[in-house]
Amino acid sequence: MNSGYPKWAPYVLVAPFVTIFAIFMAYPMLYSAVMAMQQTYGPKASEFVFLDNFKNLMVDPFFWKAVRNTFVFAAGSVLIQLPLALGLAMLLNRPEVRGRVIFRLIFFSPALVGTVFIALMFGLMFNREGLVNFTLHGVFSAFDPEFPWLERFVMGSLIIASLWQYVGFNMIYFLAALQNVSRDLAEAAMVDGAGPIARFLNVTIPAIRPIASFVVLLSLIGSFQLFELAWVLLNNSSGPNDQGMTVVMYLYQNGFVSFDLGYASAIGWVLAILLMGFALVQHKVSTIGED
Amino acid sequence: MVGDRDGDGITDYVISIWSTGAFRDQLEALLLQAGGALFDENDQMRINTEVNARVLSTLVSWMVGPGRIAIDAPEFDPQGNQMRLDGRVIAALMPDWLGGVWEQDMPGLSGKMRLMPLPAWEPGGRRTSVWGGTMLGIPKTTEDFDNSWAFATHLYLSEELAEGLYKNNYIISPVKEYWDRSFYDEPVEFFGGQPVGRLYINLAPQVPMRTSSPFNTYAKDRVANALFLLKEYAIEQQKYTPEELMDEAHRLLQEAEDLVTKKADRNVFLRSEK
Repeated sequence: MNSGYPKWAPYVLVAPFVTIFAIFMAYPMLYSAVMAMQQTYGPKASEFVFLDNFKNLMVDPFFWKAVRNTFVFAAGSVLIQLPLALGLAMLLNRPEVRGRVIFRLIFFSPALVGTVFIALMFGLMFNREGLVNFTLHGVFSAFDPEFPWLERFVMGSLIIASLWQYVGFNMIYFLAALQNVSRDLAEAAMVDGAGPIARFLNVTIPAIRPIASFVVLLSLIGSFQLFELAWVLLNNSSGPNDQGMTVVMYLYQNGFVSFDLGYASAIGWVLAILLMGFALVQHKVSTIGED
Repeated sequence: MVGDRDGDGITDYVISIWSTGAFRDQLEALLLQAGGALFDENDQMRINTEVNARVLSTLVSWMVGPGRIAIDAPEFDPQGNQMRLDGRVIAALMPDWLGGVWEQDMPGLSGKMRLMPLPAWEPGGRRTSVWGGTMLGIPKTTEDFDNSWAFATHLYLSEELAEGLYKNNYIISPVKEYWDRSFYDEPVEFFGGQPVGRLYINLAPQVPMRTSSPFNTYAKDRVANALFLLKEYAIEQQKYTPEELMDEAHRLLQEAEDLVTKKADRNVFLRSEK
């Protein structure tokens, strides 16, 4: 069948994307794969070391500390943030809640604030002289007015700051998903005697599962890319005893403080492989029972 | 030395220095003042030394325990500045360039500030130190090296710029011939009429050498971390005097040195010589 277009037309149409993808994605990825097998010192000096960077990573205690911290942060994000976001979404999905459009906007608005500003703001709150200590000491006079949150509660502080930023953002996804829950099905379940918990587990959850698993994946990817929030909140450092060291922060420190872009590339590839693993698991989980 | 000096019901402290990353430059300055360092003039690491351990132990004794005199009031930080304005902390380490920053950020302190040389670590010891350093680099690939060089030398050597740099930021010119210029003797209102330039110049001969190493930033981070861990150890063990903390300080500094050595040894371009 003749479509009326010349044969080369599709190639021309996809050329801008392919060109941009090749320059800004494919080439840097290939180049970083090559660099991951080099030891570098600044932009000029490099030496091929094959898999030495990866071997060293496996026995690098700082890398594993960064991985552990990142997992803790990711677990905090997924296990606290997402149930909270879903709870808020369910609450604001109820027609009887007055002013729910305003509440949606209020809960979503932190997502519009830049991460650096959020880090600065929470820095002011969690400082020894900050709002958190001021309030807690005001309410409970026995509470240490100089409690060092950013020394003793680093990961908790990061999780709280991240919660504030992203709960509303994820709530919007869940709200959209809840619009698709079949009312007929929910009413039928009610008629059959299903209580609120049974309806939530057997009607709501299956209906929102594809979006929920997508939100889980987004949160995990976001958590594993944690950098600027921690970096700014901890005064351009990984925090006391590296309690706030994340994988991306370790990548940054190696690449742009120690100038070993090869080692940083290796860290980047390990992170990419981890994230690909998560994406694969998410795909499997979201397609269970589809057939 | 510590108490509610201004009667506002809040304890006031003597000096702002703490064991967080924000204070790593001050820590390095104090190590250098005491005769310690992270690398010697031959680029060899010298982290676990008696002097460094002594400085760390002393700083921890300032931060915790019954003899506490220090508080966390970081520089370039609105809360740190507010604490200074409120009189919660009295003293701070003050390199020449920081005076200009304080004057701009905290005009409310004008006339209330005074400069004095650092107290020495031992009788007859050094009364000043060095904090940071700025360089001007010309890339090898520059198209017009001669003009770049002329510009760089102008910035460093011009007497007019030296005067401007001092009057705007209290930065002392590195060109010694200018040190007898009268503008360095002018009283500065922010510092209660003290001739700030002359005070710094008088101390200049005592400025310690600060060597540079590709691993300096990393080493500084590790030593700052050792300070934090030593503070935690002091709290846990309730050991608050420098003498009680020396052994642990050495152990932590050795750990820091081992980590920096390991990193340096991995670098095929800059392997540390054993």
